[in-house]
Amino acid sequence: MYKILEKKEIAMRNTWYKVHAPHVARKVQPGQFVIVRAFENGERIPLTPVMWDREKGWIVLVVFTRGRTTMRMAVELKEGDEILNIAGPLGNPVPMKKFGKILAIGAYTGIVEVFPIAKAWQELGNDVTTLNVTFEPMVVLKGELEKAVSRHLVEPVPIDPNLDFPANMRNVTKRLIEKVRALLESEEWDLVFMVGPAGDQRAVFNVVKEFGVPMKVDLHPIMVDGTGMCGACRVTVGGEVKFACIDGPEFDAYQVAWDELIARSGYYTDLEARAMQEYMKALQGGEQ
Amino acid sequence: MAVKRKLIKERVPTPERPPEERIRDFAEVNLGYTFELAVKEAERCLQCPYNYAPCIKGCPVHIDIPGFISKLVEYRDNPDKAVKEALNVIWACNSLPATTGRVCPQEDQCEMNCVMGKVGDKINIGKLERFVADYAREHGIDEELLFEIVPKIEKKGQKVAIIGAGPAGLTAAGELAKLGYDVTIYEALHEAGGVLMYGIPEFRLPKEIVQSEIEKLKKLGVKILTDHIVGKTVTMEELLEEYDAVFIGSGAGTPRFINAPGINLNGIYSANEFLTRVNLMKAYKFPEYDTPVKVGKRVIVIGAGNTGMDAARSARRFGAEVIIAYRRGPEDVSARVEEVEHAKEEGIKFEFFLNPVEFIGDGRGNLKAVKFEKMKPLDEKDSRGKRKIVGTGEYVTLEADTVIIAIGKHPNRLIVNTPGLKVERGKIVVDENLMTSIPGVFAGGDAIRGEATVILAMGDGRRAAKAIHEYLTKKREEQRENA
Repeated sequence: MYKILEKKEIAMRNTWYKVHAPHVARKVQPGQFVIVRAFENGERIPLTPVMWDREKGWIVLVVFTRGRTTMRMAVELKEGDEILNIAGPLGNPVPMKKFGKILAIGAYTGIVEVFPIAKAWQELGNDVTTLNVTFEPMVVLKGELEKAVSRHLVEPVPIDPNLDFPANMRNVTKRLIEKVRALLESEEWDLVFMVGPAGDQRAVFNVVKEFGVPMKVDLHPIMVDGTGMCGACRVTVGGEVKFACIDGPEFDAYQVAWDELIARSGYYTDLEARAMQEYMKALQGGEQ
Repeated sequence: MAVKRKLIKERVPTPERPPEERIRDFAEVNLGYTFELAVKEAERCLQCPYNYAPCIKGCPVHIDIPGFISKLVEYRDNPDKAVKEALNVIWACNSLPATTGRVCPQEDQCEMNCVMGKVGDKINIGKLERFVADYAREHGIDEELLFEIVPKIEKKGQKVAIIGAGPAGLTAAGELAKLGYDVTIYEALHEAGGVLMYGIPEFRLPKEIVQSEIEKLKKLGVKILTDHIVGKTVTMEELLEEYDAVFIGSGAGTPRFINAPGINLNGIYSANEFLTRVNLMKAYKFPEYDTPVKVGKRVIVIGAGNTGMDAARSARRFGAEVIIAYRRGPEDVSARVEEVEHAKEEGIKFEFFLNPVEFIGDGRGNLKAVKFEKMKPLDEKDSRGKRKIVGTGEYVTLEADTVIIAIGKHPNRLIVNTPGLKVERGKIVVDENLMTSIPGVFAGGDAIRGEATVILAMGDGRRAAKAIHEYLTKKREEQRENA
């Protein structure tokens, strides 16, 4: 049981949790994640420690309210409550090397996963530019990133209330591609790194590929245990089946079978929607 | 006991729920004995002498089987007393009888050489063991017995770390706690139990029962740290600094996949993923429980071991039509006879001599069908004593929207990568005392065997506990001499 020391909404649909989890705080390295189970009848979801204090034993998780579990967390958990399970750290740390000039991209709340990695790369002597493309009210960690890296760019995309959510997301993808292309055309880069939805990662990769710049991605396949015992998170990388939880989550973007990853990521979309609808119904019922 | 007894040839049956009822839910299939039925079955036992009884030899943890059975008969007028005495006998060797009574392959172990088999049916040892444990739990008798045992434990002042809360680790922990060691289990998942929780379905082994047996271990003083992944959260070096000995019972949890095109299509699960979602995460109760699982209309399970049966019978309970496809013949099926029978009763079909060569998609990343090569057996046998098989060059395609791969598992790589730990073909190498290449580090269960059974893992846990006890006794004596 892990106590929530702080909980606050830091942007639209983005909740900050500072949690007492000394076993993770002691060991976590940039690039690693945890598996969280917040409720007795809950599922296990992968999240990334954004900041940590090894001595005080806390980690910070920033969670995007995306579906039932993350919504339940946002609605039901309070400061002082406990999260049932936080397993970790899991996955491999990203390599701590001098690459040179790095463009580290975070789409939506993906920027929170970029934060610890970009910060560590910068501290190691890399020249890191971070780029956050997201909806206007969802910009997070702007001040923190401005302090941590050479240059932090934010591309806020307005939410058009006349469009549905997928259409709005297509606007983010469009802005991402335009911005990345502009940056690659105007400057020389040694490495591009990206965290975000698989579809956006592929779209950005297709641009980066034209310029021949090396690219790493943090992949987000579906996970259950996070320790290599089920293969839910399997991805094809360089023609081989890899488990993202123990072989990744970071891989060479040039080696990833993108279509397969994107198809696998969407397998439960209908059930996820159903779980969310049931929860919304229960919430509305509860308020009456 | 020189009591004249009449020979009762036929086994007293245990009631079972009918297939048409049980395939609609995940509740237990076999309902077990009542006290009256248990006594009737117990009376059939010939009470072979302890040093001779073949049932004891067949049990990997050597429970005094005639000993516990005789208590049921001796105190037949006092069920609580009968069960308490019987449980005391069982606990001397086995801390998880409600579990082993349900999931052991008794036909290959204790019951294999039961003398009664020569004149009639063998004694139903598993169901009697299960009865004792269940009755004790339901009547609080186990608590009573614990209350008597715990104060008598003499503390040794030495600490043992156990990696993995599966059958091997839980058994080792129980034994060591009874010997007075300070035991801490490190478990990666959020619940202790290992395969008992994530692998074996509720309809064979209710999860409440596993948890209640684990609660008893905690009362013996065993501490369990869930969410701790040895190799990540804590390293072996750190454990060796803090503890006097370590036992690795991390199992064989990494699934094997088939090296065939289309293996990553949507709808293809490893049995581990499917069963973990269903059992540990209770996806069969979605959306009351948050974890989803998808079972199509037509499911093909590849592999015919116990895991294959568990996966097939679980899928059936979602209303699917289920086929088990196996590359060998019916005589090579490795699952327990009882489980195969249950699967057939529940309407699961078997297809033999089919080897998957390709998984065919619908063009949008979802599975549509499986292409198999037809196999045929040869007269030669392979190293495991099974008939060799070869492809015929003929193919057959079966439609399916879900495939569950149950062709086996490897020991977990996270543990196997420990520096200084000798490993051969993914399995941890141990000596005759179950000690690994690192002094003070012992291992057992699937981590050293590859995929085996619950009771073999428990047998290893018990043997390792003894070896650790000897190792630590020596260490204590050395420290005393040096002091």
